[in-house]
Amino acid sequence: MAFALEFFLRRISQGVLIVLAVAFVIFTLLRIAPGDPIRIILGPMATPSAMEETAERLGLRDPIPVQFLRYLGDIARGDFGNSFIRGKQGGTTGGSQDAAGAPPVERAAVIELIARALPYTLLLAACGFLLACLVSIPLGILAGVRNSGWPQKVALYLSSFFVSLPNVWVGIVLIYLLSARTGWLPAIGYQHIGYVVIPAIVVAVELAPVMIRSISVAVATNVQDPFYEIGQVRGLSARIMLFRHVLRNAAVPLLNSFGAQMIGMLLGGLFVVEYIFSFPGIGLLTINAVFQRDFPVIQTVAIFASTVLVFINIAVDFASTTIDRRLKF
Amino acid sequence: MTILSSIPQSSAPARGQSVNARILRLAWRSSEMKVASLLFLALCLLTLLGPFVIDASATKISVADKFLPPVFMEGGRLPYFLGTDQLGRDLLLRSLVGLRNAFLIGVVSVMLMFVLGCAIGIFSGYRGGWTDVVLMRITDIQMSIPVIILAITILGMSRPNPFTIVAVLVLSGWPIYARVARSVTLAERQKEYVRAARIIGASDLRIMVRHIAPSILPPIAFVAVLDVARMMIFEAIFGFIGIGIQPPTPTFGTIISGGTQYLLNAWWITIVPGCLLALSLGSLNLMGGVLERSRNLVLQGAA
Amino acid sequence: MAAEPLLKVENLSICLGSAGAARPLISNVTFAVKPKSVLGIIGESGAGKTLLSRALVNWVRPPLVITAGRVIYRDRDLLALPETDMARLRGREIAYIGANPTTALDPTVPVGHQIEEKLRTIEPGLSRQAARKRVVDLLDAVRIPSARSRFDEYPFQFSGGMMQRAMIVDALISNPKLLVADNITQPLDVTVAAQILRLLRDLQRDFGTSIVFVSSSFGTIVDIADEVVVLDKGSIVEAQDTGRIQRNPVHPYTKDLLAKVPRLWHGVGSIPEANAEPVVLSVRDVAKTYAVKDRTSLFRKNRVQAVRGVSFEVRRGESLGLIGESGCGKSTLSRLLSSLEPPDHGAIEVNGVDVATLRGAALLSMRRRFQLLLQDPYTSIPSHVSIGATIAEPLRIHRLASGRGLREQVCGVMQDVGLSPDLYDALPVGLSAGQRQRVNIARAMVLEPSVLILDETLSALDQVEQARLLDLFDNLQRKHGITYLYISHDLAMVRRACARIAVMYLGKIVEIGDNETIFGEPAHPYTRTLLSSVSTVEEKPFLPKDYLLEGEPPDPIHIPEGCSFRSRCPFVIETCRNVEPPLSPRAGGSAAACHLGLDRLPAPSIVLKAHNGSDLKRMDSL
Ligand code: SF4
Repeated sequence: MAFALEFFLRRISQGVLIVLAVAFVIFTLLRIAPGDPIRIILGPMATPSAMEETAERLGLRDPIPVQFLRYLGDIARGDFGNSFIRGKQGGTTGGSQDAAGAPPVERAAVIELIARALPYTLLLAACGFLLACLVSIPLGILAGVRNSGWPQKVALYLSSFFVSLPNVWVGIVLIYLLSARTGWLPAIGYQHIGYVVIPAIVVAVELAPVMIRSISVAVATNVQDPFYEIGQVRGLSARIMLFRHVLRNAAVPLLNSFGAQMIGMLLGGLFVVEYIFSFPGIGLLTINAVFQRDFPVIQTVAIFASTVLVFINIAVDFASTTIDRRLKF
Repeated sequence: MTILSSIPQSSAPARGQSVNARILRLAWRSSEMKVASLLFLALCLLTLLGPFVIDASATKISVADKFLPPVFMEGGRLPYFLGTDQLGRDLLLRSLVGLRNAFLIGVVSVMLMFVLGCAIGIFSGYRGGWTDVVLMRITDIQMSIPVIILAITILGMSRPNPFTIVAVLVLSGWPIYARVARSVTLAERQKEYVRAARIIGASDLRIMVRHIAPSILPPIAFVAVLDVARMMIFEAIFGFIGIGIQPPTPTFGTIISGGTQYLLNAWWITIVPGCLLALSLGSLNLMGGVLERSRNLVLQGAA
Repeated sequence: MAAEPLLKVENLSICLGSAGAARPLISNVTFAVKPKSVLGIIGESGAGKTLLSRALVNWVRPPLVITAGRVIYRDRDLLALPETDMARLRGREIAYIGANPTTALDPTVPVGHQIEEKLRTIEPGLSRQAARKRVVDLLDAVRIPSARSRFDEYPFQFSGGMMQRAMIVDALISNPKLLVADNITQPLDVTVAAQILRLLRDLQRDFGTSIVFVSSSFGTIVDIADEVVVLDKGSIVEAQDTGRIQRNPVHPYTKDLLAKVPRLWHGVGSIPEANAEPVVLSVRDVAKTYAVKDRTSLFRKNRVQAVRGVSFEVRRGESLGLIGESGCGKSTLSRLLSSLEPPDHGAIEVNGVDVATLRGAALLSMRRRFQLLLQDPYTSIPSHVSIGATIAEPLRIHRLASGRGLREQVCGVMQDVGLSPDLYDALPVGLSAGQRQRVNIARAMVLEPSVLILDETLSALDQVEQARLLDLFDNLQRKHGITYLYISHDLAMVRRACARIAVMYLGKIVEIGDNETIFGEPAHPYTRTLLSSVSTVEEKPFLPKDYLLEGEPPDPIHIPEGCSFRSRCPFVIETCRNVEPPLSPRAGGSAAACHLGLDRLPAPSIVLKAHNGSDLKRMDSL
């Protein structure tokens, strides 16, 4: 199908450009930020000459574009650099600043750190998202179909309430209630699947209000559309019209808000939640990296995150243009 | 539906009012709106008057008074309504100051991102062509850096202060406004009144500022209320991670994170200020939600 | 024929709202529909037609409430049926087609699939193949070209006429006993509407379906209905069979309604004459092509040839009418004329100066002399600005007045167009369509233009308001010597207002001439097709049976070689296939683009009387 081919050719080339631009922005930001990476690598006791030598060797004295190109070249070979801080043996529990004094060669490859943390993040994301769907899809649809009545009220109250709760606070309250006080569930770190429950609830509480709102608005808009009522006059039941047609049409704005808003929220939420719960995923890795000025880790995570966002958006746009053929791209 | 609009001179009382007035009126008719705005007003008053009325300090350390529970619990005493924290500072006052700071940061950053985003969006949508492509790709780039990553990169690397915090929030928030404003402008540009304005000789700038902006911005502005709440939450998160406004100025984030160590013995240090924050955000969100719903109803012609 | 009616409506009343504040919209309506016959319901907009037709399928939703009456279909009261039983009748025995076919189906699912879905819901036993075959066959039967591939196309790929055909298929696929058709020809172009009407008549004969045909056009109703009921403000004022109601209407309202139907040939009143003043606006060989994305191939764009070389001249104080159906390029031409877009080639000259060469101040002052009025009175003026400020805006932009002088000037213009100056500080909300259109007119007139383009300006208004505004335009023309260019699809309006008329088809002018020639003795088959399709209550010189063929204009991407009208022309000859006829002059300053001479076309079926000596009422005296 020519259309799909052109779509992907065009969007993927655009997407690669965007990721490159993001990478450059982040790369530059980190280079001009205060804090000399050499001192971080070598520790506070290093002599000026040793520092200068290391800087030369690592190419840190070249102009930023040159460094960036070299970095891209490394990435092309699959080398995302080594952590400034973390040793090869770095544990998965994270949070600990291990092997700060280890010689540079012994530092862990960033890509390995990420590969180790990614499954945890994915697990948490999947659980949180599923949980949010479980609540918001039925409620959102119910609230969207009718312009009044209890589902509408419940949806409004619930989403206004949930959205007012800062996730850091929800996290701590849940730790207090479900873990510290009662001991029902484990909370800090990760040892088995039980550790994912409370963090997932926090992620879901953050996502649900947005989802409820977008679903009910999208459904309500399409229920207003003449084809819904006319379909019933044509002899199709309201149920068929709702499930086969209204939801199909509502999927388009939903996919859009998913790509534009929810994925970003989910990522941000994961970062914070992992930090609160010392959950050994990408977020914790990154936040610790920031405090330790572990530049290679930060920039790799940022590039990864924006790549994921860009490509999810391409997928989302493809799905919506496939559903609604009127859309251009 | 057409059937209702074809009925001559419908008796709806809303006739003779502009769209915005109708949205506000419809919103005000719901009881949620009244409750939420009353609550919000009360909190505002408390924030303004609290420091004068309550005989305690938000920043002065007083070891003798540390870990006092709220007055409604055993061991609590006045003037510490909501108790004190680990350093004996009054929690209510700390929360109120935090609330005020968070609110100011929220309002300022939303206003800035609204103006910046909508200006770029209208320009982009109205101009179209290459201008549009370039500007929209820039929003793409901006939107593909998650807020939290951007914030921890910038704020974590530099010393955070209110200006940098607002700057980070605006930087990460404007693209959404630009997107929305652009897509409405695209539709609006096709409308007859724009063509009519061009025919009478109006310049592009005039059309954008005098014609398009007044008709598309109010509906977007109603929903911006929700974003104020969102920004306040971000501010709290920044504070919690340690990249918000720095101590000793109290913020929700620092109060909450400071209290986590004492969760088991002095849970109120964390929980109580959070409730206050949730209450104020709840009132904002409820207002925003009602406004949004009324806007949708009015724009769909159902009211 | 069995006398027992298929459907009986007894004392039906419907209100808006309930209890104390209820406003009656339908009161005490009673009528019956005989089997295998067509009942026409006519009424003006706001008479409650749509509501009544929806009540027949029990589709009345709050805040509308049925307060009394019964709708009896084969001994069962539809209004009292439980929703499940009603659902069993809807779409099966009783079908409904609405006025707006383009929004009737799910926009994201192919048209054929949706009809198939309906068929298989109604007959669950039917296999996919069998259902599909039946739908394709019926699509074929309503003369949708290449029905098999159309089956998989989406609603937005269908034109309004094609979509209405599809909706007819959707309604008839279940072999209903009763079809309720609510104003189904209203949004369509005249030739397409005429085709749909003929199709419906044929189908009614073949299927033996009873039809309730609702319309606001008397011409359409008398064309199709066996019996007519007249609805005024929710009540039936007269019911008769079609022949009689035309010859001797009883109720004054019916008479009034009949008299309001525009006349094209009999008793049209005075017709504007062409004059010999200098040329003000001259359009020379203007063309415009747009590139649109082609979804079926890689990186290819399609070229939509919207306007393909149009030339004409308008003299000072004259009115030229530009008519054509949707897609003929008249709206593109209007955009080019308002110089919001440049033509690809060709020139638009105002008083001898090529507009495209103007920049800055010169362009601004040309704009001032050259104004355009748009169709939609609701979206063309801003709703948050006071009426006075809206009208004053052009004066501010052109820096022509300020302060007191500005207010006076605006009030003067408001009086000129029949708006009370008291409205100066009011917001436009609450104004009627006619008043809004006057605000538009005032905003253009305040610049004292010498050329005024009216792009469907009057189409959104009812007959009475239209007539009033036409008079207003006449006065303004006499007072200020303005030149008008009417761009319209409304033949009756053009007949009444324009001295010269140009007919457009597929981006070109196919015929141009003075009013009398175009309506009395047009030389192009398309002009005659147009005239034959108009729904009127008078005798027509050109009849659909001679001129109306099936098919729609080819799309402007794939314009065929030769004469662009050849796919629909009843007189096509071999030459037409590959030689494009030029616009060749005839006697009296008119011209037509057809290979055939006047003598090769059928003679008009009636000879027109001299236009002034008429005993019928003039339209504008109503
Ligand atoms: S040129 Fe031929 S096809 Fe064209 S209108 Fe004349 S007769 Fe018909």
